[in-house]
Amino acid sequence: MSFLELSDLRKTYGNVVALENFNLSVEKGEFISLLGPSGCGKTTTLQMIAGFTEPTSGRIVLGGRDLVSMPPAKRGLGIVFQSYALFPHLTAAENVAFGLEMRGIDRASREERVREALAMVGLKGYEDRYPRRMSGGQQQRVAVARALVIRPEILLLDEPLSNLDAKMREEMQSELLSIQRRLGTTTILVTHDQQEAMALSNRVVVMSKGRIEQIATPVEAYNNPASSFVASFLGKTNTLSGEIRGGTLVVGEFRAAVSGADGPVAVTLRPEKMRFDSTGLRGTVTARVFQGNCWSYQVQTAQGEVLVLRQNDGQPLPVEGDAVFLSWSPADMGLRREGLSHG
Amino acid sequence: MKKNGFLALAFHTVFVIFMVAPILVVCVVAFTPEGFLSLPTNGLSLRWFRAIADYPEFIRAFWTSVYLGAVSSTIAVILAVPAALAFSRYAFPGKGALSAFFLSPLMIPHVVLGIAFLRFFTQGGISGTMTALIIAHVVVVFPFALRLTLSAATGMDRSIESAAISLGASNFTLFRRVTLPLILPGVISGWALSFIQSFDEVTMTVFLAAPGTETLPVRMFLYVQDNIDPLVTSVSAVVIAITMAVLIILDRLYGLDAVLSGHSDRNS
Repeated sequence: MSFLELSDLRKTYGNVVALENFNLSVEKGEFISLLGPSGCGKTTTLQMIAGFTEPTSGRIVLGGRDLVSMPPAKRGLGIVFQSYALFPHLTAAENVAFGLEMRGIDRASREERVREALAMVGLKGYEDRYPRRMSGGQQQRVAVARALVIRPEILLLDEPLSNLDAKMREEMQSELLSIQRRLGTTTILVTHDQQEAMALSNRVVVMSKGRIEQIATPVEAYNNPASSFVASFLGKTNTLSGEIRGGTLVVGEFRAAVSGADGPVAVTLRPEKMRFDSTGLRGTVTARVFQGNCWSYQVQTAQGEVLVLRQNDGQPLPVEGDAVFLSWSPADMGLRREGLSHG
Repeated sequence: MKKNGFLALAFHTVFVIFMVAPILVVCVVAFTPEGFLSLPTNGLSLRWFRAIADYPEFIRAFWTSVYLGAVSSTIAVILAVPAALAFSRYAFPGKGALSAFFLSPLMIPHVVLGIAFLRFFTQGGISGTMTALIIAHVVVVFPFALRLTLSAATGMDRSIESAAISLGASNFTLFRRVTLPLILPGVISGWALSFIQSFDEVTMTVFLAAPGTETLPVRMFLYVQDNIDPLVTSVSAVVIAITMAVLIILDRLYGLDAVLSGHSDRNS
């Protein structure tokens, strides 16, 4: 049995189903992201693990103990909230010490552990500062220290980086990751930011409309999305309609040998996996945007608009109005026999 | 900053004059050497301030008012905190009706309240006692205590409480260590406004007070019915001076804006 088991979790509010069929096993030390747009049920799941929301049905078992029947104050989990939720009337050190005080830890070892925790998040010397006198990033660090100082079995992060600016966010990401790797604390992150989820986690749980779409490593989910939702949510994806005829995939003028029964299929392709070639799907460049390290192309084809990303590596590239042929390696594409909509 | 136009300036001047003039006049008249209400034209005198000492009932009435104000605002605040917490975080049937009921003393004329309480307390046999006055004043000042406490409780980030719970705080610890300190500015403001309201109340209290439980406003009201000398102006001047002193001290300690609005920067 895994460290944390969530089985058949379900939550309804009246007639509205917020979450259903939620099954997830988390191993000790793993970093898991619950990823999805707002309203997908990821926050509800976190709230149920934390104990602030009761599941309508289902089980949450942590290290063999049933969590659902346990009041949130007894669960011993560390939580970092989106708003940081620091105690504004307490100093940084007093904030971090709060959970230790609740555990009746004596003053001397409390002070020692508070000092360690603040040093770990790089806030040595900020002990006596009040939260209102700290920047957003520093408040964030205090919140992380406060959650980790109680040595929680699980660290829950509720969109912790969404209030930081882009540069700060990247810095905090790598710091969070190194702290998590060092302490080995099992961590569950709720986020709507796919870049953040992919950068931090061992596995991502992609959710939509109260259901799990896919549980996989970031690389696997990106390369082999289980559904068109996952494909479009994790980065950009082109969806082309094609057909298999006797072992050959036909997409417009593009041909490739594939295995599979005859019939129409949906072909999904990442923009960076497509290249300009001498043969293949015929199209015309309608626009291109320079993005520094790459060029983003819009190519009009008989299949609809296709997005192509090419590295800015000094090779000659087509310009607006050029007639081009698009090709790709069959290993890079996804095939599905489902709704043939353009993504 | 944008300059005020001529009309706006004139309006503000007139407004301030109307607010301040009566208070100024009372203070000036208090220094008259004459035996009747008049602006001092031939010299200033402290005669009427000394005269206060000859009327110990004014001093007793002042302390009655302070005591009544302090006790009734304290009771009102103690009742308002749980009410405000319930209103700000739970949905329950009859919530709107209950909230309207709690605020209803604001809408009932104090004359009506005075007569109703007089009848009620006479029936209960406690008419004219301090207990009766405290009960009546708690009812009248409660809406003020509730309003400010409620605004503090509503404005508070609930996830701060969630954080305390997740760190292992029991319900009582949560209230004592987190919730109460966070809504304290609102509670203090509610207390202060309640006190002012109670100290100022005369319309209702005049029906309820008996000799021995007369508040200062009631004492002054009864005095001017029978006398035309400037004693009440010197008493008023003293009250104004005390009020100013308290406000200045509050401003130095906490900042007046914070006290009267119920929000301090600690809450932001």
